[in-house]
Amino acid sequence: MTAVHTTDAAVPTNPSAPRRAAPDGAPRRRGGAFDRALPYLLLAPAVVAILWLIGWPVLSVVITSFRKLNLRELTRGEVVWTGVDNYTKILGDPEFWTIAVRTVVFTALVVAASVLAGLLIALLMRQISPFVRIVLQVAMLLAWAMPLLAATTVYQWIFDQQYGILNKTLVKLGFDSFAGFSWFSTGTSTLAVIGLLIVWQAIPFLAFSLYAGAVGIPKDQYEAAGIDGASAWQTFRAVTWPELKPLLLMVTFLSMLWDFKVFAQIWAMKKGGPDGGSTTLAVYQYLEGISKSHFGVAAAVSVVMVALLALLTFQYLRRLVRSQEGAL
Amino acid sequence: MKGWRGLAVSAAALAVAVAGCGTSTDGGSSNSGEPKTLTVWLMDGSAPATLTDALNKEFQDSHAGVTVKYEVQKWNGIQEKLTTALTSNNPPDVIELGNTQTAKFAAEETLLDLSADVSDLNGDQWLSGLKDSLTWDGKQYGLPFYAANRTVIYRTDLFEAAGITAPPTSRDEWIAAIEKLKAANAADPEFQPLYLPGQSWYVLLSFIWDEGGDVAKPQGSAWAGALDTPQAKAGLEFYKKLVDASGTKAPKDADEATPQQMEVFGTGKVGMMIGLPWELGGAIKANPDLKAKTAAFPIPSKTAGKTAPVFLGGSNLAVPAGSKNADLAKEYLKLLSSKKYQDMLAEGGSVPGTSQDTSKLSTNALGKALAESAPNGKVTPTTPAWAAVEAGQNPLKDMLTAYLTGAKTLDAATADANAALSKTLGG
Amino acid sequence: MTARKIATNVAALVVALFFAFPTYWMVATALKPRKDLLSSDYDLVPFSVTGSNFATAWSKPGFLNSLGNSLMVSLGAVLAAIVVGLLAALAMSRMRFRGRKGFVMLMLIAQMAPFEALLIPMFLMMRDLDLLDRLPSLALIYFAVTLPFCAWTLRGFVNGIPLELEEAAMVDGCGRWGAFRRVTLPLLGPGLVATSVFAFVTAWNEFLFALSLVNDQTKETLPVWLSGFQTNFGTDWGGAMAASALFTLPVLVFFLIVQRKMVTGVTAGAVKG
Repeated sequence: MTAVHTTDAAVPTNPSAPRRAAPDGAPRRRGGAFDRALPYLLLAPAVVAILWLIGWPVLSVVITSFRKLNLRELTRGEVVWTGVDNYTKILGDPEFWTIAVRTVVFTALVVAASVLAGLLIALLMRQISPFVRIVLQVAMLLAWAMPLLAATTVYQWIFDQQYGILNKTLVKLGFDSFAGFSWFSTGTSTLAVIGLLIVWQAIPFLAFSLYAGAVGIPKDQYEAAGIDGASAWQTFRAVTWPELKPLLLMVTFLSMLWDFKVFAQIWAMKKGGPDGGSTTLAVYQYLEGISKSHFGVAAAVSVVMVALLALLTFQYLRRLVRSQEGAL
Repeated sequence: MKGWRGLAVSAAALAVAVAGCGTSTDGGSSNSGEPKTLTVWLMDGSAPATLTDALNKEFQDSHAGVTVKYEVQKWNGIQEKLTTALTSNNPPDVIELGNTQTAKFAAEETLLDLSADVSDLNGDQWLSGLKDSLTWDGKQYGLPFYAANRTVIYRTDLFEAAGITAPPTSRDEWIAAIEKLKAANAADPEFQPLYLPGQSWYVLLSFIWDEGGDVAKPQGSAWAGALDTPQAKAGLEFYKKLVDASGTKAPKDADEATPQQMEVFGTGKVGMMIGLPWELGGAIKANPDLKAKTAAFPIPSKTAGKTAPVFLGGSNLAVPAGSKNADLAKEYLKLLSSKKYQDMLAEGGSVPGTSQDTSKLSTNALGKALAESAPNGKVTPTTPAWAAVEAGQNPLKDMLTAYLTGAKTLDAATADANAALSKTLGG
Repeated sequence: MTARKIATNVAALVVALFFAFPTYWMVATALKPRKDLLSSDYDLVPFSVTGSNFATAWSKPGFLNSLGNSLMVSLGAVLAAIVVGLLAALAMSRMRFRGRKGFVMLMLIAQMAPFEALLIPMFLMMRDLDLLDRLPSLALIYFAVTLPFCAWTLRGFVNGIPLELEEAAMVDGCGRWGAFRRVTLPLLGPGLVATSVFAFVTAWNEFLFALSLVNDQTKETLPVWLSGFQTNFGTDWGGAMAASALFTLPVLVFFLIVQRKMVTGVTAGAVKG
């Protein structure tokens, strides 16, 4: 991270050292150049890292999407340009559109469920005793921290047709039709199980963040609302909601990004089956890329995915940036 | 544009390496000069440690200055690992590939052409089923490592108690044995005469082949699915008959890996399972009492007295085209293909790839059943596109689940799977 | 305690149960003897327990080694991402300058990058940098992948801290740095916890890159080690569950350490509130 260029020799080049004390009230003429350069200095390490370590690979994915790149070309370093062939191939595949719609719907449901639950739990956390709060936080952390292999294995195990504890419990409760019930026989129910797994692992982060945001709301605002004899719902509407809204918008946006791209959980469960019924765009990308070794086609799928994601989140992005501008 | 220049450089290096290999039959180059490292990747659980230890030691002893870097690869993520490793500047020198995925790597020219070395590598003894999987465009891209096929592993004590005197030799006898086991153990609600998960598609292959059908047939230069043929449907029907007759509690929406059928067999409440030799090993590990109470017989055919064709699963060994030590790699393979190590493979319970002497294998009942059915071994279509069927979404598994759970009729299930298979095989 | 208070606490415990159950099930499975795993009996509580699965996991070669590797890679990545991210967050939140919006957008858009699809280009890049088979390559990638998130999220948290507080501190004689250290940083506590736990969990669990970029088995990270319980014949349930339990522990420890900081952060915030 040494790519920090400063034009003013008088300015210390160490970006982490803005330690010039404000000379009590004295006119800060000398600080002008430094103050102007400071934000760029602070941003420089992050921007360099992102452009170098993410920007460049992404660019090469975009370039790859216009090439024919199978194992042969990859190992031999051959460059074969095919124009937009990869794009016409995937966009002309009717299955692609089914998968795209499924991905969008799945993402929407998972995001809605996890954000809503995360918000409720965050608000709940403010109401409970410190001990219970720690219990809840540790429980959520356990879910969050569970390695993917373990999480998918445990879920498969819980939902197992014969030995699964869920079916056994349901039968015990009197729902005899669940004896030997297969949770993975249709794409929809497979996606429901996967969705539950994703929501379960996504909530902790959302709840932690929203709780952190809620804790930051100044107490006096609530006191003011409380004195007015407002109900819980009114307090929420009047104080919590407006204060949390930017944060909520932010985590919703993030959830959309992650859940749209989620791959490992879906693949580990049923590889996008049965009959491709739980295949999402990320799985499709993997099938083309790693399974078939058509890396050019896979790159095109990735580009389309990002474009679709940008399209879906465009309104959000605009609102987000605008509201953040207004907040300052 | 560093990446592209890097690519070009490695391509040039590759060209040099390949050209070098074609002419270097002078041999003996390895005994002199600077120390070299030969990187060998074998898969988890494929060769016994006793074999690899002895092999690596012998190779290092006879090649001064050469270190064998032997690395056991895990199955999880192996596609990604191989893909990236083959593009690196310093790929492994010997790799193990599943026989059904070899054609893909060969067709993409990522493997070294070993046609000139076949006779050095015991070529006349190669297991024919695996040899085909190594041939692409008339060239040989590796050598067979080992193979194994499924047999019916059963409990001798339970068979005896149920009054079954000899292992079944026809489908009818097999069903009859299931009925007898069921009757004899009716008191135990946990008991399963046969454990058969819904997605054991390798078992299904046996039944389809036994009916004279196949999963796909060549059509011009490509392959097309053949799952909607009457033979394939008859195979599926027999699969269902087995599931119904045995009343197996195995999931219909999973294969023999979830849960591991060897663990289920290890609980002692299962009369038979259709599995590989290692699966019996796993079951015995879970329940050592089973060691003296198990044996195996070949999957019976619909024709009495014959055995059904079986899927010959196995591995090949190959040298990546980018290997820097191709000559050493060949010498290593030569040593491995010698009788001594092939016998060790057979002792370990698999059919050796480069030796037709299976006497070491037949020392126990399971090995005997294995050796008995191995000549009747068949492989999946030898098209580079087949690898994607197994590495991706396998339509045969979906077909089985849909048919067995009644979600689809036989005709609908086979038609859907056939369309999906044809699509994947078509690229 | 009022009835309502009790009700909310009970509700919270039920929610906790929902989150903890799979973990409980993981541990219970790990503790069950092999023969009890595949039983049709109703065994919500194990009938008998054994430590043999934990012994298997503990003694599987490479555990401590890969634990060390994972700790190094994850902590390195988190530390870098938090420091660099915080610097960027301060700039984006507290300062007005030309192109600010563009930088904010960059942080957002960088998070749209399809991580799995970057495997091959990243592999080629690390190959050309000669970083294959070296742990810093992984730390670098996890740093880069979590950085936009950290920067952006921290920016949100900084935004939430009223500027007047800092200004007041500066009037009180603190410098810009002093105001940051005494006022902003403590208030950022919960935000830093959420962000660093996120980054840590992401780095800790990553499998694909750890598998593909490192061939040397002494440099394996824990997820790769863990995947050794999956063979071609399926997953060794008991062993994998025991290993996963061991795998989860460090994350818990990390959280509890950071959690203490978070509590101080919250109280500091309350005092001045």
